[in-house]
Amino acid sequence: MAEDSAGLPSNYQFWMQKLSVWTQASTLETQRDICLHLPQFQEFLRRMYETLKEMDSNAIIERFPTICQLLAKSCWSPFILAYDESPKILIWCLCCLIKKDPQNSRESKLNSWTRRLLSHIVSTSRFDIKEVGLFNQVLGYAPTDYYPGLLKNMVLSLVSELRENHLNGFSSQRRMSPERVRSLSRICVPLLTLPDFEPLVEALLTYHGHEPQEVLCPEFFDAVNEAFLLKKISLPTSAILCLWLRHLPSLENTMLHLLEKLISSERNSLRRIKCFMKDSLLPEAAACHPAIFRVVDEIFRSALLETDGAPEVLAGLQVFTRCFVEALEKENKQLKFALKTYFPYASPALVMVLLQHPKDIPQGLWHQSLKHISEMLKEIVEDHGSYGGPFESWFLFVHFGGWADITAEQLLMSEAEAEPPEALLWLLAFSCSPGAGHQQRARTMVEVKTVLGCLTKLFRSPALSARDLQAAAGENLGGDPRPPACQQLVRRLLLHFLLWAPGGHTIAREVITLEQASLNFMVAVTVCSYFGAQENKICYCFHFFPYYLP
Amino acid sequence: MDSLLEQLDRFSEVLAVSRTTHVSTWDPATVRRALQWAGYLRHIHRRFGRHARIRKALEQRLQNQWKQEGDSGPAPAPDLANFQALGHCDQLLSLRLLANPALGDASFHCLLQQLFPGPGVPDAEEEALQGSLARFASCRAAAHMLRFHAYSENPVLQKDSVMKTQAELLLRRLHEVGEAEAEGPGRLLSRLWERLPQDNFLKVVAAALLLPQASPRLQEEELGVGSPKTPGDGRQELLRWLLGKSDIVVAFCRNLPAELLTSVVGRHPELSPVYLGLLTNWGRQLHYDLPKGLWIGTEPQDVPWEELFSRFQSLCQAPPPLKDEVLTALKSYKAQDGDFEVPGLSIWTDLLLALGSRV
Repeated sequence: MAEDSAGLPSNYQFWMQKLSVWTQASTLETQRDICLHLPQFQEFLRRMYETLKEMDSNAIIERFPTICQLLAKSCWSPFILAYDESPKILIWCLCCLIKKDPQNSRESKLNSWTRRLLSHIVSTSRFDIKEVGLFNQVLGYAPTDYYPGLLKNMVLSLVSELRENHLNGFSSQRRMSPERVRSLSRICVPLLTLPDFEPLVEALLTYHGHEPQEVLCPEFFDAVNEAFLLKKISLPTSAILCLWLRHLPSLENTMLHLLEKLISSERNSLRRIKCFMKDSLLPEAAACHPAIFRVVDEIFRSALLETDGAPEVLAGLQVFTRCFVEALEKENKQLKFALKTYFPYASPALVMVLLQHPKDIPQGLWHQSLKHISEMLKEIVEDHGSYGGPFESWFLFVHFGGWADITAEQLLMSEAEAEPPEALLWLLAFSCSPGAGHQQRARTMVEVKTVLGCLTKLFRSPALSARDLQAAAGENLGGDPRPPACQQLVRRLLLHFLLWAPGGHTIAREVITLEQASLNFMVAVTVCSYFGAQENKICYCFHFFPYYLP
Repeated sequence: MDSLLEQLDRFSEVLAVSRTTHVSTWDPATVRRALQWAGYLRHIHRRFGRHARIRKALEQRLQNQWKQEGDSGPAPAPDLANFQALGHCDQLLSLRLLANPALGDASFHCLLQQLFPGPGVPDAEEEALQGSLARFASCRAAAHMLRFHAYSENPVLQKDSVMKTQAELLLRRLHEVGEAEAEGPGRLLSRLWERLPQDNFLKVVAAALLLPQASPRLQEEELGVGSPKTPGDGRQELLRWLLGKSDIVVAFCRNLPAELLTSVVGRHPELSPVYLGLLTNWGRQLHYDLPKGLWIGTEPQDVPWEELFSRFQSLCQAPPPLKDEVLTALKSYKAQDGDFEVPGLSIWTDLLLALGSRV
């Protein structure tokens, strides 16, 4: 509170100046300025209210002598009055000025001034249309009956004008000039969140004039995107698609918003991530247009690089890809665009295999698919082929999270005495540390083989204990501490063991407590890969993980 | 049921008083009670919206108010005109009290506390009223912004948003009043004719007659109560009234632009004999001035040739049967006058000649 009131005076001056400029002229520049500042001004009003409500009206006048001017100027601006919650907050501020029983003429005057202003905001107003007032009076209609209907009619008429323009082109009788469309988009910025306004927003977003350059003003796109992200407006996917295709910053903002949600929220479960993803409309839009997929993909790539492969981002990428593939399949049986437009840097054969959902392949054939994937990747990575370095291959592979987990599962379920297939070991090692050199990877593979040896023995043992498991996972050659990447891999195997071993869930809690908490997010990541039927089983096993599972 | 109706009557009185200086006698407790009352009636509206019998009874009681017509002249329009109005009677009361300078300071303070409790209000009802009042302010500002910055008056009158809205409201009211009493609409329309600027009113009438058949705001149907009459009824009342008032019909046909009239008459064929009759009379007033070579009138109020021609021209561009009807009439008048082909002898000949290839 202390820092707020310190900041308030300087803010106050800033906004007083702004308001003076805004009320003096109504040029395009001032309109743009107002539109840009509406959200911040609303925040300022909110903070003012928090301060004012604790004070008596005399104290308010003493502390803020020009408060009346500030409030009056705000009330005379239709932009401010139309925007979001600003009129409500202005009313609250004005209420703070009213005195229950004024003691002297000065207080009386303040009261009546404030009352007039309040009345102006809600009741009578200079915004009224003169010729209509008398008409409604005789008919017995109040402005509350009339204005919503008028607004709706105006919106509909503007929508039909925009559509007419679109259809008839040059031969339209009521052609809207580009200037008028632009000005309309600017005017709509404060009005987006009003009820019944969505048709106009949609009509503007899908409006295609005949001019080569963009006709709508950028503030409009920004405002629509903000409103959409904050769920203050709901638009069909086709309109959002137009928004993102016409205005790249909106798409980028949406991605940033999503990443923020993924990273900052601690309680992220599979279902929630999928919910965010579907709500954001990103997968659907990406399925409709490869350009959007490419941008989203790029941002995920950058995010992974910046955060050194943070599991939250990885989870986001995997959920996105899964939703994207689902959307593609829903769209049509064959792709409108070649796979190469979505994954231009990857081997098409590899992409085709990876795109398959494991549950579409009979379980007995998983081994074969995995071997195939492993061979293809190995070839690309070790031969430094034309498909980019190890990171690119790894990035492609982790899009489709399911495969890494199936690899682990297959390895665990294999026969206790049999040699685990090299191809699968390689794949698992690669998925955990793509950057490792040839020798390092070989060492890892040997390590894992040993651990697997113990685990597969325990897999079918009737009586499991947490200690046994820990012993199996903890051993290593020569007693040296394992490199972190290798340790992560072992933990992952442990996790899969707990999931799939017949007695695994009984000792799960104990094992988790013994191991580090970093196991937790891996649960979410793992679970990401298995959508559908198996979700219930996992939920049952880990029902005591309130944080990460539904 | 009776007590409910009585409550309704008394609240209507309260609502009427809220606009007057009498509120200076209201103390904070009175204000609170009045608001509670309004809230109660709103709850009634919500509760019995789908209950046909109760709704009908309430509606009738409210519409009775329209019938009150003293000798001293027409009564002002009632505040709660129909059942629908109960849905926002609290809004109505609040707005009136807010705008009334006669309300005492203490009472006003209490009013504000009730209406605008501030953020984080647990009571859903209060939040709804607070929100709806603020939203109404936004709505009005938005309409102003659109009108001022983005609006251009539609030359096709019936598509103009302001006209359309007024027309919709007029029809709605006519329909409601017509349900209460058969002569209601006629009386209401006469009242409007007397009190409003005539030109504007005639335009609204025309726009109303041209509204599309399916009215988008069929609120009766929305609430599930089957209305026995169709929404077109408001239009029927309007037409009936118009046709019954000879002086008004003359003004209607005289003052409105040709294109608009053509559309109206095309849509409502009952008007075409009247319109054509008037045009015929106006035509007969003109005589041919030989030196000037023009048809002119004798009185200043006579319709000049140019206007007559433009109206006939517009009518001939209308789709059949109107076009055919007009042409037949013109040809028959020409025949009556002697069927001349030479200009200057019969105005009907000249009109037909001027309309030329379009016929």
